[in-house]
Amino acid sequence: MQINSSYLLSLTTFFYLGAAAVYLLYWIFRLHKVGILATIVTVAGFILETAGIALRWKESYALGYGHAPLSNLYESLIFFSWVTILVYLFVEFKTKNRVIGAFATPFACLAMAYASFSPNVQDSIQPLIPALQSNWLIAHVITCFLGYASFAVACGFGIMYLIKGDSKGEGLLGSLPSKRVLDELMHQTIIFGFLWLTVGIITGAVWANQAWGTYWSWDPKETWSLITWFVYATALHARFVRGWAGKKIAYLSIIGFISVIFTYFGVNFLLSGLHSYGSS
Amino acid sequence: MKSKKVEAKSNIILNFFSSVKLAITLFILLAITSIIGTVLPQGESLQFYLENFGPTYFKIIKGLELYDTYHSWWYLSLLGLFSINLIVCTIRRLPYTLKLYRRDALDLSLDDLTRRPFKKVWKLGRAGTDETLKSRLKGVFASIGGKIRSRSNVQGGELYLIEKGKWNYWGVYFIHVSILVIFAGAVFGSFTGFKGRIMLLEGETTDHALKRDEAGNITRIPLDFSIKCDKFRVEFYPNGAPKLFQSDLAIIKDGKEVKKKSILVNDPLTYEGVTFYQSSYESLPEIEVKITSPDGKQRRFRLSAFEKAMWPETGLVIGLIKYLPNVHGAPAARVYIGDPSGNGDALWLLKGHDKEYRIGDSTFRISLVKGGEKYMTGLQVKKDPGVWIVWLGCIMLIAGFGVVFWVPHERYWLWIGNNPREGLEVVLAGQTTKNKIAFEKRFKKIEKEIEKITGEA
Repeated sequence: MQINSSYLLSLTTFFYLGAAAVYLLYWIFRLHKVGILATIVTVAGFILETAGIALRWKESYALGYGHAPLSNLYESLIFFSWVTILVYLFVEFKTKNRVIGAFATPFACLAMAYASFSPNVQDSIQPLIPALQSNWLIAHVITCFLGYASFAVACGFGIMYLIKGDSKGEGLLGSLPSKRVLDELMHQTIIFGFLWLTVGIITGAVWANQAWGTYWSWDPKETWSLITWFVYATALHARFVRGWAGKKIAYLSIIGFISVIFTYFGVNFLLSGLHSYGSS
Repeated sequence: MKSKKVEAKSNIILNFFSSVKLAITLFILLAITSIIGTVLPQGESLQFYLENFGPTYFKIIKGLELYDTYHSWWYLSLLGLFSINLIVCTIRRLPYTLKLYRRDALDLSLDDLTRRPFKKVWKLGRAGTDETLKSRLKGVFASIGGKIRSRSNVQGGELYLIEKGKWNYWGVYFIHVSILVIFAGAVFGSFTGFKGRIMLLEGETTDHALKRDEAGNITRIPLDFSIKCDKFRVEFYPNGAPKLFQSDLAIIKDGKEVKKKSILVNDPLTYEGVTFYQSSYESLPEIEVKITSPDGKQRRFRLSAFEKAMWPETGLVIGLIKYLPNVHGAPAARVYIGDPSGNGDALWLLKGHDKEYRIGDSTFRISLVKGGEKYMTGLQVKKDPGVWIVWLGCIMLIAGFGVVFWVPHERYWLWIGNNPREGLEVVLAGQTTKNKIAFEKRFKKIEKEIEKITGEA
């Protein structure tokens, strides 16, 4: 079997699947060694994925196209899962809490599986069409996906918050971080994601202005990114309204992520517009 | 009595316009209504909506201007209300924040100090002041970094303060004002700028752009100079995807060529605030025909689509109707040929096969010399003096986030003095607006070093 980037990347899917399973086991049995194993599997998958992305970049040069692997749906899905794992590992490092992994790694795994195994997603390296030939491509995609990945992790926190409910003490739900901690983590990741989404929208505007002469043209992708922005703006301001903290913000973090997914896929598949190159 | 009522009423109105609840309501309304324009086709003719959605929905679409959702009266009103919300909220919060900002962190009593989130008290249990101890403690405190301010005679002791990131208070203002700046830039640009299109054949020059309004009327936008397309190039990758669209443009002012540039999709040309973007192209057929008159005179004509040429001496008029690059292996063209009075005929010419055409008694021989394509470049033309205001707003927005997110307002206090009852005492206190974990680490480090010094003393 020829080792190419697609092979490495589809292999990564199984690492993340394994990681999600081991994190789940850790959550159920609370064995420290299982937790360590989960982290090791995640980090191994992350290294493999990084190698896959680097190899793909190299392959694109070998083909004579020479561009960063951020130009179509396949590559963006790969990058999305990469950033999600990066953001999650950072959160794990900061909070020393591994249960969160059971709620974050599935997002990365799903993105990888979809990229690698869906017949709708082409994994071949394609050359850049003129509209994409810009240095803004890298800045725009990286900032947007930092936002998307943070929102995926925040959505994980939101789900944890909701299933935690009012349970206390021991048991599966009891071993989740406390609601106060979850609320704080949710808020922090949403702020982080919101910052990057904002920068992503701005870099997109600068780029659009350079390529087409309009920084904002209400194209469906732009509009949906703005809708997402409004949802998270709501979540950030909800903290200042009495009775809105906690549960409502948890719901918003889930609604916000649904909006992210729609911005990402729905617009490509269901609506047409300037961003159509993201759909193949 | 009455004026109080009025005041109360105006307060209710002000409270409404500055409330977070209004902000949240607007976010949700804008999020939901923005969906409409992404699902319903925008900018089509009214006829289109009537045919596709039926008379009932058509009424709604027309009344609410859903054919141009984002410029409809109600959507713009929502954005206007959003701006008012931002302005009123900013103005109302300003005095409060200013008070917080101006408050001197040295205006604290010992009791206040010990109520800070981070604090540590050392009771050395002996009287008197020890200058060397004081300077060593001060040295440790200074290692936090930043300017030290101090105040003596604070309840019998000296209070030192290190304060960082005080302008964190203004981060949120930066963000809110920046959004208003972006709106202002967009509005300013829409009143002072223009947007149009130019289609230019290779070799062609124009001094105006064309603009199509919603009703489909085309208006001319004159430019203060002329623009010429010298050449257009298009290249493709082996898989058929486009690789390059390039127009070689020249700006001509007062009969002189003042600027030249080859523009690409991501690399436009700007002259006197007007920017030309590569946006599309068309390829038009171009043929060359040779006509031989009855007396043996020959003349060649280059004909582009929709172009007519005349041979004045013979009165012959010829124009291109259609060009096919490959008919049985040779190019073919359908041409119009006739006399100036309007009598004429359409003929098919095939390369290598001459055709004859008669006007009265004269017979002309016509042959297709060659056929090919000529490009017409499509340029987007824009002038937007407001764009720099928009960029300024964007930079402010990012800077505001940077401040809110990464610049915590941190304060460290050190008090050294004599407690009337218990003798020499040292108090270390700290407070931060965010990242408490990192702050605690630094605080503990200072605490440890002070512990060492007080332990020795």
